Amino acid sequence: VAGERTLELIIDTVPAMVWSAEPDGSADFFNQHYLGYVGRAWDQMNGQGWTAAVHPDDLAGLGAAWARIMASGAPGEAEARLRRHDGAYRWFLFRTSPLRDAGGSITKWYGVNTDIEDRKRVEVELQRAYDSFADAQRLSQTGNFTADIAVDEHIWSEELYRIFEIDPSTTITVQAVRDVIHPDDLAAFDADFARSLGGIDFDQVFRIVPPSGTVKHVHAVGHLIERVAGRPLFIGAIQDVTARVVAEEALDRSRSELAHVARATTLSALTASIAHELNQPLSGIVTNASTCLRMLDGEPPDIDGARETARRTLRDGDRAATVITTLRDLFRRKAFALEALDLNDATREVLSLSSADLQRQRIVVHTELAPDLPIIAGDRGQLQQVVQNLVRNAVDAMAAIDDRPRNLSILTEREDDDRVRLSVRDAGEGVDPEAVDRLFGAFFTTKAAGMGIGLFVSRSIIERHGGRLWVEPNDDGPGTTFSFSIPRTAAPVGDAIATPRSS
Amino acid sequence: VTGQLPLVSIVDDDVSVRESLPDLLRQLGYAAEAFPSAEAFLASDRADDTRCLLLDLTMPGMSGPALQEELTRRRQGIPIVYITASDDATVRARLIARGAVDCLFKPFSEATLLEALDLALRTPPA
Repeated sequence: VAGERTLELIIDTVPAMVWSAEPDGSADFFNQHYLGYVGRAWDQMNGQGWTAAVHPDDLAGLGAAWARIMASGAPGEAEARLRRHDGAYRWFLFRTSPLRDAGGSITKWYGVNTDIEDRKRVEVELQRAYDSFADAQRLSQTGNFTADIAVDEHIWSEELYRIFEIDPSTTITVQAVRDVIHPDDLAAFDADFARSLGGIDFDQVFRIVPPSGTVKHVHAVGHLIERVAGRPLFIGAIQDVTARVVAEEALDRSRSELAHVARATTLSALTASIAHELNQPLSGIVTNASTCLRMLDGEPPDIDGARETARRTLRDGDRAATVITTLRDLFRRKAFALEALDLNDATREVLSLSSADLQRQRIVVHTELAPDLPIIAGDRGQLQQVVQNLVRNAVDAMAAIDDRPRNLSILTEREDDDRVRLSVRDAGEGVDPEAVDRLFGAFFTTKAAGMGIGLFVSRSIIERHGGRLWVEPNDDGPGTTFSFSIPRTAAPVGDAIATPRSS
Repeated sequence: VTGQLPLVSIVDDDVSVRESLPDLLRQLGYAAEAFPSAEAFLASDRADDTRCLLLDLTMPGMSGPALQEELTRRRQGIPIVYITASDDATVRARLIARGAVDCLFKPFSEATLLEALDLALRTPPA
């Protein structure tokens, strides 16, 4: 009939591969589109012949799926590659449904194959992209997140779960994250997080204490986006920077230890070693002279012995002279270089050089640098050494302070018309000769006027600038203030040679 | 004859001291022997005979106080008078607190030396 003819036309013309099979699975029909696509005649495809067009790698899987579908008697689907007439393989989705008779027995299987090559390719690309994304996250120890702030919903990357050591099945909340943050860093985190919800980018390094108990340093960056009005999303990345932070801390420590050693081996250490070097031959001279006198006073006098000790006395005198010559050479190289300088600038430079140290010691630095501070004439390097010494002392003085902020204030001001003053104020326990002993004792036992070596050097530098350095207890709280005052135009003392002076 | 005179041993890395001090001590009526290091003194057999040790504080290798400790460990309680080129009253007080008879700052006079030796020789072995 015409209806059947029309149906046949439709089936052969639709842009799909249509087929049917007997209840036992042997194929008995392929539409023209199918036959044309694979470039085979019906009698080549009949029965199990069609399997010759299936990619050899997919054949076993497709066969198994087909057997499963037939056994179940229910509609089903499977994926496999089919070879086109030109030899190219493309992925197809095979879908089939059974036709049943009145008694419920399957009389036929009908099927349609759809080309899914493009989808399949996208899937593979996506998987590859995801794999390399995960690799990159893993390698850089960086995880990323999206947080829907309004409903406290969070999407975390695998690596982020790994960094926080949280099971990926756990529901993440802001509170759950806060629970892991180191208690000492929580306040700063909360403050910055609150600010970031106001639109300021979040960028902070803080510590977390994951379940393993091993503290990690993480660097988190994030910012707010608003794709849907009133529904802010917070997106960002968190990197585990523990290794870097630990290495930096070690570097800072060795740097500041080095500075400490360098400071201890300055002028006053030199003074002590001068005394030491001179006292040795002097001791010989005094002893030899005593011996000489005794030998001459003997009965009878020991002239030969006296002559020998006198000779030794001369030799010791020469040794002392050599010490002096060496020192003079040493000092000659240490010229006093005056230049026009802005003490505020010099101070800022010292603070920026010390910033890592200050941060590590949890020092809160306040600066009040007078904007109208006149330019002075001074030795920049030496004055910076003084400021650094004072800062260092202030930091040391607050090392044991835990019950109040470790406040360090640096103040510069114009004094009268022709002097500038700089003060360094700490919130430590105050000046205690015992504490000074501890600060400097590790390097040198010699004290100048009960102050440490650094202070002794500082004072001699300030005095060479025609100024003075003093210390006073804070009158409105615990701690000490060290100050120096120098004239705008330094009047270097003496012959501009680094002579240690006692006040 | 020397055997009868009390032996004063000197341990000092400074050659001026080693050259000058033994002669003066002999003039003062003591037997004297000088050693350039703590190790050299320990290696010699003179510790048993030494009635007083004039000991330098800082030396390369074993320091004065380290030698003092070692001697205490060996139960050789020799009275010790430190001699140092660094003038530091705190160090002196600490050394005396730890059992030294005295600590002389170089250069020291003959009278100061005699006083310290007198005191040392009156000190019963620890």
